[in-house]
Amino acid sequence: MPPTKQANRQAITLKGSTNLVTEFFKYAANTILFQRGVYPADDFQMVKKYGQTVLVTQDLALESYLDKILKQVNKWLLTGSITQLVLAIISKDSRVTLERWVFDVTLVEQPTNTESSAPAPAKPEAEIQAEIRNILKQIVSTVTFLPVIDEPTVFNILAYTSESAEVPANEWVDTDPLAIEAGKSQQVKLRNFSTDVHRIEAMVAYRYEG
Amino acid sequence: MSATAMNATTIDRSSRTARARAAPKRGTLAAELESDPNLSSAKRQQRVKALSAQVTQASLERQLAAAHSARAELEARLRERDAAIERLESDRRWIADREREANEQRERESEQHEEDKAKLDAELGSLRATASALREQHRDLEDEYAALARSTSQTISAQQAQIATLTEQAALLDGQLAQAKQTAADRGAQLADLQAQLDDARSAHATPAHAEGDDWAIVRTELAKQAEHMRALEARNAKMAAELRARRERDASVDVLREQNRELQRRAQAADDLREHAARLEAEVQTLTRERDRWAAEEPGPSTPSKTPVAVTQTLSKLRLEHQQLLEEHGATAALLRQRDNELKSAEQQIDELQDELENVTTELDALRAKVARSDRSAALMEREVAFLKDMVASLTAEEASQNDRHVDDLAAQQIQQLDALVAEYKATVQGLRDELDTLSNDTSFVQHVRPLQDDLAAERAARADAEQALASAQEAAESKIDALEQALFDLRGEIGAGQHVPPGVRVLSLAENPAKEWFDRSDAAMARLRGENAALLARLKQLEASGARAAGGGEDLVPRASLDVAEQEKAALAEELKDKEKRMLRLRQVFNNKSAEFREAVEEILGVKLAFYASGDIRVTPQYDLSAQFVFKRQGNEARMQLVKQGAGGPEDLPHLIRYWIGEEQCIPGFIASVILESYEAVRRQQHAAD
Repeated sequence: MPPTKQANRQAITLKGSTNLVTEFFKYAANTILFQRGVYPADDFQMVKKYGQTVLVTQDLALESYLDKILKQVNKWLLTGSITQLVLAIISKDSRVTLERWVFDVTLVEQPTNTESSAPAPAKPEAEIQAEIRNILKQIVSTVTFLPVIDEPTVFNILAYTSESAEVPANEWVDTDPLAIEAGKSQQVKLRNFSTDVHRIEAMVAYRYEG
Repeated sequence: MSATAMNATTIDRSSRTARARAAPKRGTLAAELESDPNLSSAKRQQRVKALSAQVTQASLERQLAAAHSARAELEARLRERDAAIERLESDRRWIADREREANEQRERESEQHEEDKAKLDAELGSLRATASALREQHRDLEDEYAALARSTSQTISAQQAQIATLTEQAALLDGQLAQAKQTAADRGAQLADLQAQLDDARSAHATPAHAEGDDWAIVRTELAKQAEHMRALEARNAKMAAELRARRERDASVDVLREQNRELQRRAQAADDLREHAARLEAEVQTLTRERDRWAAEEPGPSTPSKTPVAVTQTLSKLRLEHQQLLEEHGATAALLRQRDNELKSAEQQIDELQDELENVTTELDALRAKVARSDRSAALMEREVAFLKDMVASLTAEEASQNDRHVDDLAAQQIQQLDALVAEYKATVQGLRDELDTLSNDTSFVQHVRPLQDDLAAERAARADAEQALASAQEAAESKIDALEQALFDLRGEIGAGQHVPPGVRVLSLAENPAKEWFDRSDAAMARLRGENAALLARLKQLEASGARAAGGGEDLVPRASLDVAEQEKAALAEELKDKEKRMLRLRQVFNNKSAEFREAVEEILGVKLAFYASGDIRVTPQYDLSAQFVFKRQGNEARMQLVKQGAGGPEDLPHLIRYWIGEEQCIPGFIASVILESYEAVRRQQHAAD
């Protein structure tokens, strides 16, 4: 039964890719929160991941918040109903959005292969990990050019989903996109990475009053 | 407050006098009551009234006293409250001072920070500007480099094409050069002839003019002789060459003759065959004639011709005819053969002659060649001589010019004019020849055929260049358009990224319980609480201002309920925090104790000493093998130097010696401790051995 086999393979690939992307979001969010000083540096501990040291929070509340989000994001990724994940950093005092870390999620177009043609060769995991590593390194290096944040900040994670996405009632709510004031925003495109199924493009937009 | 106290004492006093006054009155009333019952009942009533009044008065007095006491109590509480408020106010003032200080400091810091930030921003701006400038420069350089690479490749290809055409041209020119050399050599020969003629003419002309004409005459005659000889040699050479050509032609004809000879020999062989055939036929004829003769002898006379059959006579006649024919043929062939033989002989003779002649000619040619070479050499020698003589003439003319200007000048001018005219003539001829060559090359049909093709090619090239240019411009336009579109795309993505634009059909969701919301809720709640407190305080202030001093009575509303609530909440929060901190502290202490115990154990096991740290900063060191020996060290000043301050009862026997050496002389405590440990270990070992 080749079709079911293929479908099975496809499903496994989608699941694996989704898990990979979700994990990436976790480490990326942690890295951003550490690097941008949203939480005190003492709250983070070093963890070996993707062949490098990544800082991960030990704040239980934050951990559970991230877990809750990522679980739902995982579900949305499986159904393909999430298009963007945004980590917004907001000033505590002025409530102005200072930075938006945007991760565009696009589904990689599967070549419409017929029965005869062989499926495209799977991308080696090492290569994906190298790409992820490069993004994380780039996030770390953005500290060099992003404006210095010298005020207490707080963050929020926004998910851009399609209208048809299944949303758990009361848990998730429609919200303001936390836009950076027009004319005062600048953006820098970061690297991207792709699995066989998903393609993640990273970007940071920040408020800059030159 | 003192006024109220005084008031209380006066009330006390008046009640006492009233009681004192009431006591004797009761006595008289009682007496009257006993004497008169009516009066007594009235009096009783009166007394009952008085009693009830007294009771009510007493109860009122009690109430009054209770009220007084309550008031005093409240006053005391008020005082306490006042004191507390004062304390709180002083605290608040202190906190406000601290806050002010902190604010000032923060302001200072923020100012400094702003300055730093401005400076850094400026620096960053300048760095960005330089970076962008550098990037621009880099891009320019890249463009330039690409342009240069393109232009170099173009020039290289163009030069290669040019080289190819030039090599062709060079080959052509080489050919032309060779031709020109040839013509130049011819011209040179002509020139030499002319020069010789000129020299002759001049010699003829100039001999009578000069005194030293004899030398010149000799030279000229010699030269003329040489030239004549040369001419003779050349003529001969030409003749010999012509002869050689003729010989060669003849040689070719000899070959033809040889071929003919071979042909004739073949024919002669054929004639031999024929001759053989003829001989055979002759023999046949002879036998036949003999037979006939015999027959004639046997049958004499022709009177009996009827006896011979007709067929036989017929065959006979036929044979005779044949015989005749054959004889004729034979004669013809024999004649032909003889002719051929003669021809052959004559041809062979001719060949021999020709070969002899050829040999003669080649030897002659060799001799002539050698002669020509010799004469060439001698001519070169002569030319050199001529050049030398010319130089000599020049020097002589110069000399003479210095002596006799005019005469020589005229001659020289004439000579020069003649020579110039000659040169001009030669140039004209050369030009004419060139023109001829050009017209020849232009007139050829090939050129005519090629020209339109070349024109076509040029046109095609021009068209191609135009097309390439158009393509390049179109490409540039497309590239610029692509750049612009990419920029627009980037901007749009930035807009989406900045959240200013939400794509249609997309929902923006966030978790209901998120840190931002929690923070903002919390701060909103705190703000609301503070607002409430503030409002309550303001209300209280107003109330106090309105009531003035009278408000002193009501102590309970002094602090608004809201601030009390806030204070209690804060207190609860602080208490919670304190509890947390204490817990953490306890945990840390536990950890520290565990770790220090571990450390001590490790030191004990590795270094063999037990360490005890006292609060005074002293450290007690006890060797593991001799617990009675105890040494107490003290830190000396700020430096990390220890000093032995006390020692226990035990220790090895030569402890004083060890102390003197290690502590006194070497001032090395580790060495001392180590030697003590060693000594005590050895002592223990000795004891064990003794026990065993």
